Amino acid sequence: MSEALDLSLREQAAAVAGGEADATELLEACLERIGERNPALNSVVETFPERSREMLATAPPGPLHGVPIVIKDEWPLPWRAQRFGAAEMPAPTAPGESGPYRALRDAGAVIVGVGNMHELGAGSTGNISVYGPARNPWNLERCPGGSSSGPAAAVAGGLVAGAVGADGVGSIRYPAAYCGLTGLKPTFGRAAMAGHHMAEISTTIVSGALCADAADCRLLDSVLYGEELRAGTPDGIRIGVIRAEVSEDVAPALREACEEAIEDLRRETGGELREIELPELAAATLATVLIANSESLADVTVERLNELDPELSPIGRGLLKYRVLLPAIATIKAGQVRTMARRTLARVFEEVDVIAWPTVPAVAPPLAAPLVELPSGTVTADEANVRGGALANLTGIPAISVPVGSSEGLPIGLQLQAAWGRDELLLDAAEALERANGRRWVEAQPPAARGAETLEA
Amino acid sequence: MEASNASDEFIPAGLAAYGIEADEIERAVIGAAHQTFWPPILELLQLDTSQVPVERNPDLSQAPPER
Repeated sequence: MSEALDLSLREQAAAVAGGEADATELLEACLERIGERNPALNSVVETFPERSREMLATAPPGPLHGVPIVIKDEWPLPWRAQRFGAAEMPAPTAPGESGPYRALRDAGAVIVGVGNMHELGAGSTGNISVYGPARNPWNLERCPGGSSSGPAAAVAGGLVAGAVGADGVGSIRYPAAYCGLTGLKPTFGRAAMAGHHMAEISTTIVSGALCADAADCRLLDSVLYGEELRAGTPDGIRIGVIRAEVSEDVAPALREACEEAIEDLRRETGGELREIELPELAAATLATVLIANSESLADVTVERLNELDPELSPIGRGLLKYRVLLPAIATIKAGQVRTMARRTLARVFEEVDVIAWPTVPAVAPPLAAPLVELPSGTVTADEANVRGGALANLTGIPAISVPVGSSEGLPIGLQLQAAWGRDELLLDAAEALERANGRRWVEAQPPAARGAETLEA
Repeated sequence: MEASNASDEFIPAGLAAYGIEADEIERAVIGAAHQTFWPPILELLQLDTSQVPVERNPDLSQAPPER
């Protein structure tokens, strides 16, 4: 049954629905594989075989009937409160039925485990977690990306074919890029969000899928959206490109791969490139961080800050306390930047269909020292990554990271962003890119996936 | 404004004003974060946004009504 486990998400679903694969055997094979591979990857922080078997026994017919899925440690389950990758949450949590849980359950899916994540969702690398870091299946000494580190590593490592993450400031797209996956950050409000501890507060966080390719994302995201994300034909796609830090202060190999991919997309769709300007881009990055940080303080009290669990990392403790010191006027200004950026984007999306730039400016850095070398110098991966990831969260637009190359044996991701509600177009464009490069990058398998060919360095 | 010098006073004064306790390591983290965030925050505060009305309760699932 391990053969079925190596199928794509949609193939697993079709095999179970068609009777070619037995869902019980698929689940047991998946649990066995987690047991085999997870000690090296640390992508899954908890399994609950009896709960999973119970889910399968009561699973209704649905688009994911009998298909194993990993869900990030950001979503409560009826039998488990989320821990947010941390020894202590700044907000009270309890077991419960989150929106993604309900969506998966009602689609017949089987949740097989909880995915690791960067502590408190406060990092783009995944190198800090109360469970220890998840590891990148392409190179176990490298960061898997964050904050949805475990879901990405679980899919890239072949433990499951699909996982549910969350994206508040790039947290699905960064790990998708680092691990060579496709990851969609939905338009704000389109995907299931109920039950998240910040569901009523956050204006940046969304749930979304991490899968090998766009078709699998389309299937899993359709479940999370509660509506079918129909495939279309992105003919004559107008691709917006920008001369700015996000596209130019990028490691040369990544810049080259992304520029080649953009040209591939243009050629495949018979489209055109158009240069655009986003004057608020730099301010938008800070604005996103300020807004996300402010919103995360809603349940924080001084008393709680003074009694933080000592097992919380010093970085986590320090950042929580620093957030309190951020001036309110900066958050007000951030709101105004959001307005400006949204208006600019609305105008830009009258001229282009997608905006393209590298998801992250360098490949996955070492877990031990998550720094990246850019043409402008050496900076922390967090500082570098947020430049390209924040805009979509600030403004609400959808964005996707698509694997388009390799450098140093590590994947390269291209980010495409589209206007509000055009999530389907991003999936269509991602599929066009896959056709253009012969699906080379979505089918590449990391060394940690047994029996797989490796990417050339 | 000298951001790094100002942080020598801003951090301990701010923590004290709120009654937030922080050990040496936490203070080092806070100091590093401040050095990263404060200069761009000061730039942000210089931004003239007097002509930019904030979208009240913006519907982030859609384009803004005004361009």
